[in-house]
Amino acid sequence: MSQVLATYNIKGGVGKTSAAVNLAVLAARGGARTLLWDLDPQAAATYLFRVKPRLRGGSRKLVRLRSEVHALIKETDYAGLDLLPADFSYRHLDLALDSVKKPTRRLARVLEPLADEYAYIFLDCPPSISLVSESVFEAADALLVPIIPATLSARTFAQLSQLIEQGRLAQVLVLAFFSMLDVRKSLHREVMARLRAEHPRELLGAAIPTADEVERMGETRTSVAEIAPGGRAALAYEALWWDVRRRLAATSTVSGGRSPRPLPRRGA
Amino acid sequence: MSELELVAPPGAQLARLAATLGARVAAKEGAERELELRFYDTFDGRLRRAGLVLAHVREAGAGGSPGRLVLCARPGSEVLMAAADQAVAGGAGVAAGADPGAGAAGLAVVPAVAPQGPMFARDLPAGRLRDRLATVSSPRALLGLAEVRAHVLELSLRDRLEKTIARGALVSAQPAGQSPGSPAAALRLRLHLRALRGYEAELVALRGSLEALSLTAAGEPLVDEAARAAGRAPEGVSSAISVALLATQRSDAAAVAVLRRLGEVVQANRAGAIAALDPEFLHDLRVALRRTRTVLKQLRGVFDPQALAHFREEFRWLAGQTSAARDLEVQLAEWEALAALAGERWRADLEPVAEVLARRRELALRACGRALGGERARRLAFEFGELLDGLVAQDESRRPDAARAIGALAGERIRSVYGRMRRRGGQITLSSPATDYHELRKQGKELRYLLELFGRPLFGADAVREPIGVLKDLQDVLGRHQDREAQIALLASLAGELARMPGGPAALMACGVLIERLHEDELAARREFAERFAPFAGGRIRALIREGLR
Repeated sequence: MSQVLATYNIKGGVGKTSAAVNLAVLAARGGARTLLWDLDPQAAATYLFRVKPRLRGGSRKLVRLRSEVHALIKETDYAGLDLLPADFSYRHLDLALDSVKKPTRRLARVLEPLADEYAYIFLDCPPSISLVSESVFEAADALLVPIIPATLSARTFAQLSQLIEQGRLAQVLVLAFFSMLDVRKSLHREVMARLRAEHPRELLGAAIPTADEVERMGETRTSVAEIAPGGRAALAYEALWWDVRRRLAATSTVSGGRSPRPLPRRGA
Repeated sequence: MSELELVAPPGAQLARLAATLGARVAAKEGAERELELRFYDTFDGRLRRAGLVLAHVREAGAGGSPGRLVLCARPGSEVLMAAADQAVAGGAGVAAGADPGAGAAGLAVVPAVAPQGPMFARDLPAGRLRDRLATVSSPRALLGLAEVRAHVLELSLRDRLEKTIARGALVSAQPAGQSPGSPAAALRLRLHLRALRGYEAELVALRGSLEALSLTAAGEPLVDEAARAAGRAPEGVSSAISVALLATQRSDAAAVAVLRRLGEVVQANRAGAIAALDPEFLHDLRVALRRTRTVLKQLRGVFDPQALAHFREEFRWLAGQTSAARDLEVQLAEWEALAALAGERWRADLEPVAEVLARRRELALRACGRALGGERARRLAFEFGELLDGLVAQDESRRPDAARAIGALAGERIRSVYGRMRRRGGQITLSSPATDYHELRKQGKELRYLLELFGRPLFGADAVREPIGVLKDLQDVLGRHQDREAQIALLASLAGELARMPGGPAALMACGVLIERLHEDELAARREFAERFAPFAGGRIRALIREGLR
């Protein structure tokens, strides 16, 4: 049974796609069959993997379950990592979901045929509060929420917590982490300290620094591990991935919350 | 189409072709390696039939590196790829993925030293590779099929976005032991490409460009080509007998055709049986001998009586030389199930019995090997071959059935054996001596061989299917009865030897319990006999045999 991890934040430009891509690469390198589903009409993750942003039948057919999801998947250049690409039709994903029954369950239904094939499915989500995000909340086992440690971002996190509480989505594990962190900035250090005190459970220990190699991902179209293996960002993502897995494992042994079954290992 | 396997024209050079591919289809070169490959399969090609390739792969000149065993689906290009290394490095030694043999490019890999002799699935480390191999190959040994040294240049093809759409390799291979560059030695230069998921159409679109470079579809994968170069049949050696016969054919000619094929099976399995590579060599050899003896007996009218008597005696002798070894192999193969009959309480006490059986088996196998490889057996094969070569031309005055149509003769013999079985079986009761059941079983084997060797080719598979099916059910219960008799006799014969061993008294007591259980099962088989004999002797089968085989 796959574990579905969604990188999500209402705000854009906080490092969702970078996190989704780098964590997915790490998962695959660790031997786990991994899929990344790019849900953002900007198709940034699709671009990073050098895949054409084109989905046969568009997102409408996909959410209506009229497209065979296996046929849309592309193998990336990373062994064990596949991509379900986005295209521009995803800008109407909300409308497509609105046209089906039980729309908030629909993304989970699209993923059902893949449950035994992948150990991890990453959802790279668009920045929004919408039917898409509600559907993501229902499909995901965990939300990975990157937060830039600034005042407004903290407010966004609070809104997210409230949204999940109101939606009675207690089964979703919220795992937030600091992103684009600049320890030279006192504001970043202060906000970090305050939010860690206020949300000790939701905030992971690992933090992603602001780093040149993360920004260069768009130029090289590779992960940070290839741009600067052993660099600060690569090490930070490894620490983050370790942290995420530890929290997922701990959740699975506690009653309440989805319990992941033993993870299938990647074949060649 | 997700995979392409192409070969270059003879004389093509790897470096030049790689450069051409780089220029024409934007192929990018990757790792380059020298590999030592040893391919394995069972004697009868079970892995090939199951769509699998098993190879031991080692980097040439890698010092102490043991290499790895790789199991994948045919055509088997994964054995050459670095992905196999990742599968070992990244997993727990065995990568679980798409099931090899299920049509997907799955891999099962274990680090292993190249086995020096026959290998059995049961001796491999626990995991997917062992499980999959055991399902396909057991109880046969995995034997070396071909050894190859391969120069592998990994390639990737990319589209205009620099996205990899296919991965593969150029492979320049030659049989191991040949000097590099020897034109006679080299196997065809191969290009293997596998489309990345979602890019199958792109690979298909490239095919024309590749064919324009004089690359053509490989008629067979590397493992098959290497096997042929080593003088072996990639499909393995079959012990199946399928000789085409015409109903109007002379009976002596038909007998020659069938006996020749049986002789081929005996010879094919002889070396393996002598070396005791795996139990199936001796089994297939013995079945071929039994069938030979049946043909000699049932078609006796096509042979000169004096020659017939001689060869019947010689084949009887040869079969007798193999009995003890085969019986002991079967007992040991089934030992766990046999010991379990005595119950958990006695299992441990029966260990000395297994030791004695194993010792006896080794002695019996050696004696069997000496007989099979000895002068008398060789002379029998030679002289029998000469008999068959000249049989049809022989004087027919003492061979009354020689010129008869085989259709008529075979049908007559089948009906005759069937009739005798009906009469004998109809007189068997619960209290009949064991020999009565045994004799019926022997007749059942003769009938089955006649149906398979002559009935099927002469009258069609449909005509014999039901009689063979019902006969098999009867033979199963007769076989079980005979097996229990033989097992009781064998255990009883061990008493003296067991008594002298550590743990002997306890083993003797446990044997007593086991013999009691075997006796109960033998009685159960007797009770089931009537139920199995009834349909065999009944109107339907009788009609099929009497009327359907003419």
